[in-house]
Amino acid sequence: MHEQLETLLEMQDLHMQRRALEEGGVRELETGLFEMSAEEAIDALDAKISELELRLGKSIQERFRSLIGTRQRAVVPVLAGVCYGCFVAVPTSWAAEADPNEKLNVCQSCGHFQYYPT
Amino acid sequence: MQLRDFFSVDAIDLDLNTETKDETLKILVGLFHLDEKSESILFKMLKRRENLGSTGIGRGIAIPHCRSLVVNRLRVAFGRHGAGLDFKAIDEKPVHYVFLIVAPPLEVSNQYLPVLGKIAQFSKEADVPERLAAVESAEGFLQLLEEKGV
Ligand SMILES: [Zn+2]
Repeated sequence: MHEQLETLLEMQDLHMQRRALEEGGVRELETGLFEMSAEEAIDALDAKISELELRLGKSIQERFRSLIGTRQRAVVPVLAGVCYGCFVAVPTSWAAEADPNEKLNVCQSCGHFQYYPT
Repeated sequence: MQLRDFFSVDAIDLDLNTETKDETLKILVGLFHLDEKSESILFKMLKRRENLGSTGIGRGIAIPHCRSLVVNRLRVAFGRHGAGLDFKAIDEKPVHYVFLIVAPPLEVSNQYLPVLGKIAQFSKEADVPERLAAVESAEGFLQLLEEKGV
């Protein structure tokens, strides 16, 4: 897998975890059943996200920040040849590659980074 | 929604003989048959979650969980460890029963939280630890879930 794609995936997962701790059901469960301190966890997640960010090139870093800020997600899955950022079919030549995750693909139509789940 | 519908027989391991929490998480993630890279990302995320606070909720039960884009649908696994594992659980007791739950960031039917909740509800029933200890097969495990009406 492309190294920066892996970092982006991790960062996005951490962002999702952070967001879930700020509101609603997950927060309730984490602080109740699992006795987690949500504030401490959010601080720890922020620290990790900042650390990972340093691994990204400048332009990728900027794209990630802008996407996660405005559209909640920066990396979207491609499932059955369709980009889940915009629901437009990806060029067949991209999806046909042996391992499309070896490249850092950016959707031509919505600008999200793309990930092909197994 | 029935909890048993989310478990498949090949994602149930009643004879874990792992030494550590990490090794156990790896074995359970392996039950999902993802590619190597996805497994390692998932393992890392589960570890990160554990570092924020143990998912060992006491009475020998742990529920490691996370969301990640490397899975395209909600996946659950169950593992039983006879000797017990140091999971840094809330009650500091060894963990014998591990429910693993992973889900993509966004799911169409939003099952992650309800499934987590149902496993928590199941885990809180007084006789569940001893019933889990007595289960003899994966099918028996599924029957127990069914019997408990979760
Ligand atoms: Zn798109």
